[in-house]
Amino acid sequence: MSSGVAYLDYAATTPVAPEVALRMSECLTAEGVFGNPSSVNHEFGVRAAERVESARAQVAACVGAEPGEVIWTSGATEANNLAIFGAAHYYRGSARHIVTARTEHKSVLDSCRELERRGWRVTYLSPGPDGVLEPGRIAEAILPETALVSVMHVNNEIGTIQDIAEIGAICARSSQARLHVDAAQSVGKIRLDFATLGVDLLSLSAHKVYGPKGAGALIVCRRRGVQLAPLLHGGGQERALRSGTIATHQVVGMGAAFALAGAEPPGEIGRIHALRERLWQGIGALGGVWRNGDPLRSVPHILNVSVEGVEGESLIADVGVRIAVSTGSACTSAQREPSYVLRALGRDDRLAESSLRFSLGRYSSGADVDAAIDAVTRTVKRLRGISGR
Amino acid sequence: MIYSELTRRYFEHAACAGAATGADWFRGEAGSRERGTWVQFDLQVPSAEHGGAVWSVRFLAFACPHVIAVCQWVAEQASGLALEARLPQNVQALRARFEVPVEKLGRLLVVEDAWGAAAGAAILRRNA
Repeated sequence: MSSGVAYLDYAATTPVAPEVALRMSECLTAEGVFGNPSSVNHEFGVRAAERVESARAQVAACVGAEPGEVIWTSGATEANNLAIFGAAHYYRGSARHIVTARTEHKSVLDSCRELERRGWRVTYLSPGPDGVLEPGRIAEAILPETALVSVMHVNNEIGTIQDIAEIGAICARSSQARLHVDAAQSVGKIRLDFATLGVDLLSLSAHKVYGPKGAGALIVCRRRGVQLAPLLHGGGQERALRSGTIATHQVVGMGAAFALAGAEPPGEIGRIHALRERLWQGIGALGGVWRNGDPLRSVPHILNVSVEGVEGESLIADVGVRIAVSTGSACTSAQREPSYVLRALGRDDRLAESSLRFSLGRYSSGADVDAAIDAVTRTVKRLRGISGR
Repeated sequence: MIYSELTRRYFEHAACAGAATGADWFRGEAGSRERGTWVQFDLQVPSAEHGGAVWSVRFLAFACPHVIAVCQWVAEQASGLALEARLPQNVQALRARFEVPVEKLGRLLVVEDAWGAAAGAAILRRNA
């Protein structure tokens, strides 16, 4: 990376792959494919529509869906909103209940809270200390009036993988509970087969997979007949579920990124996993460092740790000078809130505040990992010295 | 969070961090680690030939960068300070100097309380 700071925040976002940027740049200028893909009465529009449909096929192929099931959105947050509000609005006559988990992404939790304000009931399930949601708990929580179960595939903070196939089977046995899965962190990291998972709605993001920010998709299962009410009204694009001119360059970028994700070299996952374990060995050697989540039920690229004896804001302020990582804590203007995900796992406030999330990616190297070990070691020793521990 | 250049500099170079003990060192602390901010000052106050003023300061802090920076600055500035003085600057002036968000004012009061406790211990000894 150009700044000289080791970038270990791939779960936050990834750089756009050069091949992706090239494909996108072909869809912007007068010499390129700049037409409105809805203007199929002339060549410019037809060429753009061809690129859009090609991208749709690439995204579908990567996740085991049919191209006709892909609805473009501006990202996973919009996809999550469309899934939750779209299902709630469509099925409101027969259902007023949603099941989700306390460790979901904010775009799911805040959507559910808004539905509560509108009179819906929401059951928030707590995972175990390892971050795993016991599928049996979901079975117990589903009621005859449950419209939707929303569970993320891979947790964005700790990397824990949920048993979506089992949860899908549980939802299939209920009368009308549809399953929505936020899979923003899954693509390119673990196998994802929409057709066999028993999922009705699947949220995807481009910028977590070396694609552009501002592009995402909601996969809407046709075979299972799930219905949604649109959030945006207008031109009727995307099967009338998401009106608005399709951003050709964005979705072309997403398609190219997903095609690359589906063609990662066989050893890449193993390489990333080995780097993560090397990072854990180095940081864990400090002592007083807790690994959050179950490493055996985790994607290979995320490591989340809590550090004893250091104050959380100072930890990220000091280490952030040397390496780019995330903290689970939400930082407003001045006050920090401990990570709600780690609190849901039972971590106390101090450990939830003093957490760091490292996430590795395509361009991560052993030198990056060694730089991170060195930075964290120096910071923790310095801050423990200042605090007298 | 974005920190001022001054805050960043004093946070990163907390040379006065540490603890000291001895006949002419006086300790005070405030806050709690469990609540997220804890500060301890050790003040060296030699006997009367130095006028009973603060000679040297060490501090420990489990705290955010703003508080660590303020503690370091206070420790640097306190040499020669009369025990009866509260801090080299009052809390509001420190908040302005280090551009501490108003929501963190309570944390600076922990600094003031820790300093007051250490100075109070020294005054008690002097008056004994």
